[in-house]
Amino acid sequence: MKDFESNLSNQHESFLSFENKSQYLNIFRKKSFDNFRKQGLPSLLDEDWRFTDLSNFYRNEYKHLDSSDIEFDKNIVPKHIKSLDAHFIYVQDGKLIESPESELFEINDLSVFLEELSEDKLDFFLNSHSEKNVDFTYELNSAFIKDGIHLEIKKNTILDKPIILINFYSSDLSHISTRNIIEVGALSEGQIIEYSFSKPDINFFLNKATSFYLSDSSNIEHLSVDESSKNSYIFSNIKINQNKNSNFTTDSILIGGRIYRNNVHPALKGEGANSNILGLYMSTNNQHMDNYMFVEHEQPNCGSRQLYKGLLKDESKGVFHGRILVHNAAQKTDAKQTNRNLLLSDKAQVDTKPQLEIYADDVKCTHGATTGQLDPEALYYLRARGIEFEKAKLIMIRSFTEELLEFIKSDFILNLHKKTVENWFIESNLAEME
Amino acid sequence: MLEIKNLHANIEDKKILKGLNLSIGKGEVHSIMGPNGSGKSTLASILAGKEDYEITDGDILFNGESILEMSPEERAQEGIFLAFQYPIEIPGVSNSYFLREALNSIRKSKGEDPLKPVEFIKLAKEKIKHLKMDESLLNRSLNEGFSGGEKKRNEILQMSILNPCMSILDETDSGLDIDALQIVANGVNAHKDANRSFLVITHYQRLLNYIVPDFVHVLVGGVIVKSGDKSLALELESKGYSWLEN
Ligand SMILES: Nc1ncnc2c1ncn2[C@@H]1O[C@H](COP(=O)(O)OP(=O)(O)OP(=O)(O)O)[C@@H](O)[C@H]1O
Ligand SMILES: [Mg+2]
Repeated sequence: MKDFESNLSNQHESFLSFENKSQYLNIFRKKSFDNFRKQGLPSLLDEDWRFTDLSNFYRNEYKHLDSSDIEFDKNIVPKHIKSLDAHFIYVQDGKLIESPESELFEINDLSVFLEELSEDKLDFFLNSHSEKNVDFTYELNSAFIKDGIHLEIKKNTILDKPIILINFYSSDLSHISTRNIIEVGALSEGQIIEYSFSKPDINFFLNKATSFYLSDSSNIEHLSVDESSKNSYIFSNIKINQNKNSNFTTDSILIGGRIYRNNVHPALKGEGANSNILGLYMSTNNQHMDNYMFVEHEQPNCGSRQLYKGLLKDESKGVFHGRILVHNAAQKTDAKQTNRNLLLSDKAQVDTKPQLEIYADDVKCTHGATTGQLDPEALYYLRARGIEFEKAKLIMIRSFTEELLEFIKSDFILNLHKKTVENWFIESNLAEME
Repeated sequence: MLEIKNLHANIEDKKILKGLNLSIGKGEVHSIMGPNGSGKSTLASILAGKEDYEITDGDILFNGESILEMSPEERAQEGIFLAFQYPIEIPGVSNSYFLREALNSIRKSKGEDPLKPVEFIKLAKEKIKHLKMDESLLNRSLNEGFSGGEKKRNEILQMSILNPCMSILDETDSGLDIDALQIVANGVNAHKDANRSFLVITHYQRLLNYIVPDFVHVLVGGVIVKSGDKSLALELESKGYSWLEN
């Protein structure tokens, strides 16, 4: 742990020595690193990390990746993604490789975007209110802020096609840190997909963050799929800043990672905003998937629905930490949290922890969690009708995952969600190839 | 068709069936009556292949071959069907999808091509009309929120679609109103022919007015204590079981 931390310090020093274009940014990076140092790396004694043991992760010696000289080969993008009718952005190891041109939106390399911003604007993006209450992963991400993209969907815009951000990771023992900033103009609508994958079996340290800034009455559906190597350590932050009457749905499908920490933090900052926070974590072997939700209601008349479902095979582990914070101004909040887990083996395990902090008096706030195995009576019933055992199990498992689909409006995201899940069934020997 | 020989079965070390003998020929309708807890549903579940029971002695032959080692799905594929006393609710799995999967699994086991969704829907709609069921029940989750009577009719719908040759109906009449009873009985009778056999478990003689049994058996304490023709059911209705219990 000590070595890991001093290795990070060295990485950060050398990172800063090459980054000197913006005074503001470097001060911000230093400050963030200091914050990280003050917090220190977490152990199981840390309340927010008590179910996730990082000691194996700390034993690795990663190198911060400053450039990627390998050429990006689009042929490696899986066919079911490549063949979609969408605007594609290609990013490799955090570096923007290619992006589409459109009247409806603008895409920039993050560092180019940040360097041109006024200090006020930088302050807005980097220090805005909902950036508080972060864990070490986000502080580190801020300390190394440079790679990633900025995407702006203009106001009054309905995207003609979904935007797919392809992230490919190629380098063993690399520390990759990326930040995406996504702005959506007032009254605009569309779908944004983040698809991440890597070279098979590599061990790398991925620290990724995506921050959304949703203007009044915007309406966005977001799908994040991460199929990176199962030897990698993935730390992800999704932060959502929602203004008045905005609607946002984020759906995360976790497949990759030896350890995957998934922080999702929607902040409902304008009256009448709504957030659906969906997730499906599917783990096999010794994978460990830790979901940390922090839903923050700041203004009145906002709604949030959390539905997270875990499907755990073998001796894999899952964590669901569902925190809801209702500020005292947020009257008439309607917040609902549901976590359901299906264990496909006796050795799989889930820890669930709700945490409600409510400072307003007129609110509706519910939470519920269940963990169980496939119902043997139901399996017997299906089999008694001639359905093969393996197929009966698959039918039950599939129906377990399908509850999430009810919250997804766009067919595009719905179909991609389903395809991703079906592929995982095949890969995990739960279904046969058609 | 079905031959049960000296069947002894336990659940969790408790003896339930204690030497049961029963032989059902092709095209025959047999009825089993008996007091609560006498082992009727246990027998039905064992025939369908439920794995919670320990068979300590005896055998079950279906078309001359022992089925004791067969899985529930293999038995269903061979043509054994159990209409459950308490059908299971399965949220998230649509009734029509379930039925199509079941039918196609059985077809596959016989080397037949699967029915396409449109072909299946046509078949299902025809059968559902016959049972005077609401078509919307096809699109609902399997048995979820179905009324007691709807669940029972849904079992008979499954039977008429899957087309088994040995149907075991476990108290399919309980929970049915008078009209529904007749509709269900009509559904069963429409399915009856010289090659299909039935084992009808019931507490009430009334059902047997519609589905007329060739034989009536009384199961008490895990053994068949008396067999007779349909008049036995009438006798039981007036006398109860106590005169048979020793
Ligand atoms: N899992 C179990 N563990 C212990 N005993 C059981 C179990 N399942 C069934 N039994 C017992 O087996 C006996 C026979 O039950 P069964 O359901 O076969 O009766 P039945 O004849 O169908 O009764 P009914 O007319 O009430 O439907 C009962 O005494 C019941 O309590
Ligand atoms: Mg019974």
